[in-house]
Amino acid sequence: MQVHTHVEITSEWGIVAARQAGRKLAREVGFGSVDQARITTAISELARNIYLYANKGQIKIEELADAGKRGIKITAVDNGPGIKDVRRVMEDGFTTSGGLGAGLPGVKRLMDEFIIDSELNNGTKISAIKWLR
Amino acid sequence: MEDKKLTMYHLYKEMLNNYMQSKSEHTLYSAQQFSKEMLEKDMSPEEVVSLHKSVITELVNDPSGELLDSFDLLLEVMIGYGLAHREHLSLRDRQRQLDSELNVAARMQQSLLPNNKIEVEAVDFGVKSVPAGKMSGDYYHYFVDEHGNIGAAVADVIGKGVPAAMCMSMIKYAMDSLPEQRLQPAALLENLNRVVARNIDDDMFITMVYGSYDSKKHQFHFASAGHEPCLYYSADTDDFHELKTKGLVLGVSSKVRYEEYVRDLNPGDFIVLLSDGVTECRINGEFIEMKHIKQIIRKYKHLSAQQMVDQVYSELEKIQEFQLRDDFTLLILRRNV
Amino acid sequence: MNLKIDLQEGKKESVLYLDGEVDVYTAPNLKESLYPLAEESGKKVIVDLKNVNYIDSTGLGIFIGALKATDKSNSKLVIRGVDARVKRLFEITGLNEVMDIVSDQREEV
Repeated sequence: MQVHTHVEITSEWGIVAARQAGRKLAREVGFGSVDQARITTAISELARNIYLYANKGQIKIEELADAGKRGIKITAVDNGPGIKDVRRVMEDGFTTSGGLGAGLPGVKRLMDEFIIDSELNNGTKISAIKWLR
Repeated sequence: MEDKKLTMYHLYKEMLNNYMQSKSEHTLYSAQQFSKEMLEKDMSPEEVVSLHKSVITELVNDPSGELLDSFDLLLEVMIGYGLAHREHLSLRDRQRQLDSELNVAARMQQSLLPNNKIEVEAVDFGVKSVPAGKMSGDYYHYFVDEHGNIGAAVADVIGKGVPAAMCMSMIKYAMDSLPEQRLQPAALLENLNRVVARNIDDDMFITMVYGSYDSKKHQFHFASAGHEPCLYYSADTDDFHELKTKGLVLGVSSKVRYEEYVRDLNPGDFIVLLSDGVTECRINGEFIEMKHIKQIIRKYKHLSAQQMVDQVYSELEKIQEFQLRDDFTLLILRRNV
Repeated sequence: MNLKIDLQEGKKESVLYLDGEVDVYTAPNLKESLYPLAEESGKKVIVDLKNVNYIDSTGLGIFIGALKATDKSNSKLVIRGVDARVKRLFEITGLNEVMDIVSDQREEV
């Protein structure tokens, strides 16, 4: 049986709701407190990116069960401006917001798998998976 | 992995327990040593907080759970620090990679310089060139023809580091393509300038002094493209003279004429070609005086030309406290007999 | 060391007053102020170096770039107020032969 949750991101409230949903599912899947915090931070960063650059979008959180492995998958989708140079934003030390955020390389580090798909003027879709060990 | 975690857990528990009872500096010292092991095992800050929380849960009585809950907040905060730490590690790896790429480039650059020995009876020859960083913006060149005549040059590309080094390789290949002018300093600079002016950025330029030594007539012919003046040392009077020249730096305009000068050398006389890394070396923020450089060279005049340039470099390196601000090149050509 | 740059812009003539050292660190700032002036056509661009006592090779490169730009735009570049050390630099590099360099400001008309 698989669970998934959709959270609409239109405000900072949405970011908090997505964190909450993610932490709850991570706990149910069986992640320890450190991994719960990591997954939540990853959700936070993805949701913030949506809020800051696309204004609105969705965070989907689902449980994964694959060949005896269990995990959690986060998908962030928006129809915003897209990312011009994906390679660049995936570089360490580069953050477009100029802030000290974890950025996308941070999200990649917090999770086990990371896929980014972005088209200029057409939006961005990012999926990230963490497996239970 | 799990075993390792378990050992860390026990060690930490023992340490914390000790400390809570003794409050001793000794235990704090073990904790400091322990942190090195944690770093070695790649433990992130959030894992450390988590470890601390689980250990202290066992050790203290906290009926309301308030104290323990506070660690959840700390753990959340530490995730950010953990990421910063990991980013730092990956940037450090990246830096190592760049360093090794630069080392390869520096070796390639070294191979652009001549490395044959000049063995001519009439002349004693020495050159020393040291970059301030890994790559050099200074360039030197020399060659000997079948009659024992020598061509020698020192050039300085604006700036330093990689951009200067890339420009330097252009000079090398341009000079290789001008074999007929190797003993005609002014003509060589004119041709070289045309190549440089065509290929260089608007705000880049190169200075070069080119000289040729006629081993029969014992004459030094030279021309300069905006380079630091050469020095001429007269053995007879034990005096240095700056060899004043006119001539525009390479790369400003494609039509430039260069004047050629001549100096007769008596036995024991020598010519010094240098880059501005020599004349612009600073001691405690003050520029070194030309007078001072002449004194240093004079001090070693009894040595061979190669020993002279080596010694002058060592001395200037020492008074600059081993920190070169600019690339350094010094070339000496002395008439023997 | 820093470089202070003050611009007094006139219709036919602009004066750029520099104060400090023109070196590899300050050269980008000078470039940003000087090049747009040099690219305007039919203008006289004066750079006042009265309060500059050190120019390194990168700094000198900026003046060469500006000279090329004024040649293209039919403008004129004048360097004034150079002290002995800076003057020697312009002489050694031969730039005094291709640039208008005035060592004493009062000679400037």
